[in-house]
Amino acid sequence: MDSAATSFSSSTPSPVDYIVLLILRPIAAISFVFVFIALGWLLAWKLVLVHVPLVQEIFGLRKKPAKFKPQTRRISRYYNSINTRNSSAPGSGYPPVLVQCCHSSSIAIIKPNYSRVAISHLWSSLEPPSNRIRLLCSTFSQAMAPPAQSSRNPSPSQPSGKGEVSDLRSQLRQLAGSRAPGVDDAKRELFKKVISYMTIGIDVSSLFGEMVMCSVTPDIVLKKMCYLYVGNYAKVNPDLALLTINFLQRDCKDQDPMIRGLALRSLSSLRVANLVEYLVGPLGSGLKDNNAYVRTVAVMGALKLYHISASTCLDADFPAVLKHLMLNDSESQVVANCLSALQEIWNSESSTSEEAAREKEGLISKPFIYYLLNRLREFNEWGQCLVLELVAKYVPSDTNENFDIMNLLEDRLQHANGAVVLATIKVFLQLTLSMADVHQEVYERIKAPLLTLVSSGSPEQSYAVLSHLHLLVMRAPYLFTSDYKHFYCQYNEPSYVKKLKLEMLTAVANESNTYEIVTELCEYAANVYVAIARESIRAVGKIALQQYDVNAIVDRLLQFLEMEKDYVTAEALVLVKDLLRKYPQWSHDCIAVVGNISSKNVQEPKAKAALIWMLGEYAQDMDDAPYILESLAENWEDDAPEVRLHLLTAIMKCFFRRPPETQKALGIALAAGLSDFHQDVHDRALFYYRLLQYDVSSAERVVNPPKQAVSVFADTQSNEIKDRIFDEFNSLSIVYQKPSYMFTDKDHRGPFEFSDEIDNLTVGVESEHVVAATSVDANETSDLLLSTSEKEETRAMVANGSDYTAPFYDSSTPALPSQGQSELAITGLLGTADPGPQASTAIDDLLMGLDLTAPPAPASAPPPLKLNARAALDAGSFQRTWRELPVAISQECELGSQGAAALTSPQALLHHMQGNSIQCIASGGQSPNFKFFFFAQKAYEPSVFLVECKINTSTTKAQLNIKAEDQSTSHEFLALFQSALSRFGLS
Amino acid sequence: MPVAASAIYFLNLRGDVLINRLYRDDVGGNMVDAFRMHIMQTKELGTCPVRQIGGCSFFYMRISNVYIVIVVSSNANVACAFKFVVEAVALFKSYFGGAFDEDAIRNNFVLIYELLDEIMDFGYPQNLSPEILKLYITQEGVRSPFSSKQPLDKPVPNATLQVTGAVGWRREGLAYKKNEVFLDIVESVNLLMSSKGSVLRCDVTGKILMKCFLSGMPDLKLGLNDKIGLEKESQLKNRPTKSGKTIELDDVTFHQCVNLTRFNSEKTVSFVPPDGEFELMKYRITEGVNLPFRVLPTIKELGRTRMEVNVKVKSVFGAKMFALGVVIKIPVPKQTAKTSFQVTSGRAKYNASIDCLVWKIRKFPGQTEPTLSAEIELISTIAEKKSWTRPPIQMEFQVPMFTASGLRVRFLKVWEKSGYNTVEWVRYITKAGSYEVRC
Repeated sequence: MDSAATSFSSSTPSPVDYIVLLILRPIAAISFVFVFIALGWLLAWKLVLVHVPLVQEIFGLRKKPAKFKPQTRRISRYYNSINTRNSSAPGSGYPPVLVQCCHSSSIAIIKPNYSRVAISHLWSSLEPPSNRIRLLCSTFSQAMAPPAQSSRNPSPSQPSGKGEVSDLRSQLRQLAGSRAPGVDDAKRELFKKVISYMTIGIDVSSLFGEMVMCSVTPDIVLKKMCYLYVGNYAKVNPDLALLTINFLQRDCKDQDPMIRGLALRSLSSLRVANLVEYLVGPLGSGLKDNNAYVRTVAVMGALKLYHISASTCLDADFPAVLKHLMLNDSESQVVANCLSALQEIWNSESSTSEEAAREKEGLISKPFIYYLLNRLREFNEWGQCLVLELVAKYVPSDTNENFDIMNLLEDRLQHANGAVVLATIKVFLQLTLSMADVHQEVYERIKAPLLTLVSSGSPEQSYAVLSHLHLLVMRAPYLFTSDYKHFYCQYNEPSYVKKLKLEMLTAVANESNTYEIVTELCEYAANVYVAIARESIRAVGKIALQQYDVNAIVDRLLQFLEMEKDYVTAEALVLVKDLLRKYPQWSHDCIAVVGNISSKNVQEPKAKAALIWMLGEYAQDMDDAPYILESLAENWEDDAPEVRLHLLTAIMKCFFRRPPETQKALGIALAAGLSDFHQDVHDRALFYYRLLQYDVSSAERVVNPPKQAVSVFADTQSNEIKDRIFDEFNSLSIVYQKPSYMFTDKDHRGPFEFSDEIDNLTVGVESEHVVAATSVDANETSDLLLSTSEKEETRAMVANGSDYTAPFYDSSTPALPSQGQSELAITGLLGTADPGPQASTAIDDLLMGLDLTAPPAPASAPPPLKLNARAALDAGSFQRTWRELPVAISQECELGSQGAAALTSPQALLHHMQGNSIQCIASGGQSPNFKFFFFAQKAYEPSVFLVECKINTSTTKAQLNIKAEDQSTSHEFLALFQSALSRFGLS
Repeated sequence: MPVAASAIYFLNLRGDVLINRLYRDDVGGNMVDAFRMHIMQTKELGTCPVRQIGGCSFFYMRISNVYIVIVVSSNANVACAFKFVVEAVALFKSYFGGAFDEDAIRNNFVLIYELLDEIMDFGYPQNLSPEILKLYITQEGVRSPFSSKQPLDKPVPNATLQVTGAVGWRREGLAYKKNEVFLDIVESVNLLMSSKGSVLRCDVTGKILMKCFLSGMPDLKLGLNDKIGLEKESQLKNRPTKSGKTIELDDVTFHQCVNLTRFNSEKTVSFVPPDGEFELMKYRITEGVNLPFRVLPTIKELGRTRMEVNVKVKSVFGAKMFALGVVIKIPVPKQTAKTSFQVTSGRAKYNASIDCLVWKIRKFPGQTEPTLSAEIELISTIAEKKSWTRPPIQMEFQVPMFTASGLRVRFLKVWEKSGYNTVEWVRYITKAGSYEVRC
């Protein structure tokens, strides 16, 4: 009991117990928990968190980028002192270069003048790379001394680019010698910056030295960036480029073929003419390298060398090595590169060296072509294009060979690369040119692949293919007549594709599909893009002019007139005008509609001119024609000169038919015309005025002669040009629609020279035939001559001339012969003769007179003709004289069988004629057709003779066209020339 | 001379040079200025992809927001040049892993320089196949500036032997645990239908995409239900042609791995595939196309300020199939003020920036015909004399497991020395190319 009591009393808690229980224990518990958590965190921090990048970022624990050794060593301090000395005495010229050479631990001093030799010499003697770096350092501290100073204390006022560049320089310098572990990454970043500046266009060429210093690295990406940089700036810094030669040459001997190749490529891309001597060695060994990659690079390198210094390349006999490689290498890419390199080299050499010409011929010889064809499948797609391009030039000896090649290549039409397919098509077309029926089969065969190419690929690719299709369709119009739906435009296509498709639709239209095509074209007339809408209306018009059955089309055109959109009306008016010129029988229907068009709604000059032309031409069918013309004449000043010219003529025509009603209009028009500021309008008004004054009936004969309908609108391009374009299938010529010499030859591109032509304006206005004839002549000459005045210019002149004389036949709408001529006659008079008493003579006679510019040859007997053996004439003046002079004699003569046999290449005849004091200025052609341009000069006078000579060796005939400055002696010259020609081949 | 490009430029839309590479000296360095002056800053832009300025020809192509310009001074091969650009872009894309645009170029310009050096030397195209180039240009494209920048410091493999090997498209010694082949037959239907419902123009361009994960050097053979192939086969086996639908392919082009000689003689598609993804063949069909959708629009102009548009779209493929992502764009005049719709399925709204009613149906089952009827109020304009030129209704869709041409894969055989088993997966999908209905 007692014990129980005590136990009870002892169980009553004392105040100490309370404290322990209520305060200490909780505190202990809480602190325990906290300590536990803290320990846990500490553990986590030490083991895990420290390594988490984000945490590092937050707590600033990220390691600083590798620091490089401060410049405390003796030598660097020494260099610095040199630098400061330089900058302190800028006038003292170049300081001596100091080179620390560790072998001998002596200091060599090199003067800047022989530094190049000395440095490259020293380079090879310095074995450890670190010493080489030092050599570089010292060289650059010399070359870069002034900018180095600016990097030391960059002034805030410097332009941003320069400040950054100098920043980069100092950083690059720090990195140059360092071998710290992270240095490559740092270098990479820096190099990237440099190259991005280079790309933007900031000139970082001043960093050349530092970049080269940094390039001593095993890292291939760094190397590539450095090569890129060096390749870009070596040309500007040829002296510094020399220093890169050494490390590039060393890299060319690297174990890794990748590095060998890269180094060789950049070495050959330096493009510094006086460094080529260093290039020959590595190239030679590169061509013999056992790794294909290096060989491919070396082959291209040889080509680059040829472009830098042709003689070095030829002296090293690289073409022969390339040829050997081309025939024997196992790698297709090497062969392909050899092929392109040799083609380029021999092409440019062939004009001077006969051997190169022979080699060039050898490329398209049977064994070689067969060799390539047999390996064709090994080539990649680009190589195949190259080979096929060459095969297209090959002329097989018999038809079996033809078929063999075509069978072999047929599967290429299924190739995924459109360029290969087009190249194959070219081969097929060229091979079968002489076999008409097979040629047609080829067209059928290539149809499907071509259509696929149009619809697959990017719009740009379809554009290229469509231009080729257009060319083919021009040659074989029936080809796509049933596939016309492929040329329907899609709504989202770019306009250049749509435009070509419209042209295709026009070209493929025939009796069977005209209705569908025209319906489709009419849909486009409502197109949102005005340009396309216009094109489609023009296309409808073109189809109408091609077809015999134009019933439906005329209705459509007339619908266009009523569409109430100004551009549609404008285009349709021009078309209706052309249509009426071809089909006068439709005039009734058309005039009814045209009559309803208010001239106020027509704004475009061309359309207005067309409308006025119709008003004048069909004045008797339109009741209010005189009054419309009168109101137009009253607003004389509102219209363009082109329209005013037409208005004058139209009023004249109207006047002859309905004199009383038109008299007032005529009066207004002539008065306004005479006071017009525009020269043409003024002249024409004056001419009409005087013509009327002289005699009204002859005026009518001049202004409004009876016309006959145009049957065929003249083609804008001659057949010869078309054939030439076709020969250049699968190239830019097709897209531009002109032969390549017109846009690649430098002389065809010069600025438009008008003054030269002004002098001969009489020639330009004489008559269109003469202009056409001379321009064709000019074309022929200019494509053979190397430096001639440009063809385009002549064409432009022709176009210009026709604009001038017949304003409503612009160069795009083909001119019409019969009526055009009468218009020409009138304006021709205006342009040349002053409209005085001459106008009274019959115009036709006058025209005839204008045609004959050549005076008749005088009858007096001339002394015997002697020629100057050393006559000289440059191509430009030849071309000019050729154009100016008329043909004095045109004759065909016999060449003789020996002569024909001896004429294997143009060169043969050249030498022969030179022996007879007749020089050749240009020659061309292949057996059996040759063409030459000769010239000769009289012995004691500057007067020259020009000869165009076309020889066909199979018929042994020569066609001569002789032009002479002194007409009297031309026959003698002909005799002389013929005798010289007939002696050819006999000796 | 196929291309001999003198220079290649990458420009952004403003005309800043992103990348330039001069291969030859025959053009001046300021060519890009000429391009900017004569093409970019004039209306010429986009009118013709080939232009001549001075003595040089410029080929240009716009890809997303970048212009790629090739400058050539001689008479170059146009098709080849454009093909080169297209291939090069594909190559860059495969390196960057996705988009090719200004940002991608800026982030990867060093890589592009490296590649430009390899794919073209002195203006002549070299090797453009990504499989090969990836062997020795290992620098990884940087996807975005924020991802971790750890340049790969792998030793460069001496892969140059394979660079120009005979089977250029496949490496030796590949090994996969699971040998799988994926075949995707993707067809796009181009249609142009007149307002009266007659088909003006209709064709299908299809391609067979293949993804190969096969070990060793396997030889594959693909059989399709095309007419010529089947006839040839039955000739060889002296059996009459099986009944069933056969397809007449208008034109076929193949990847370079396909043995074309064998295709010509036996009409079978046999090949050693490259590793990974590639386009095996492309074909074109114009006859017997099953159109997946018919569109029947009626548009009435009620007076000058109101229009009523009713469009019924009918799906004519099997009831069990369904189309995905169907979008129908119905053009309306520019001066549209208010629109109200009723659609039986999907959602429609008026998009003022393209002047279209856009009707979207996410899932479109076969053999159904939802309709849209809309009333459109126009702002009445006084000067507006021009009538509205009605652009066509355009449609986008994808129909899985359906081919508009009816093409089917009959078999795909794989032979390999080790004789492993392969798993083949075949998918079909038909997409809309330019699917236009005039109204």
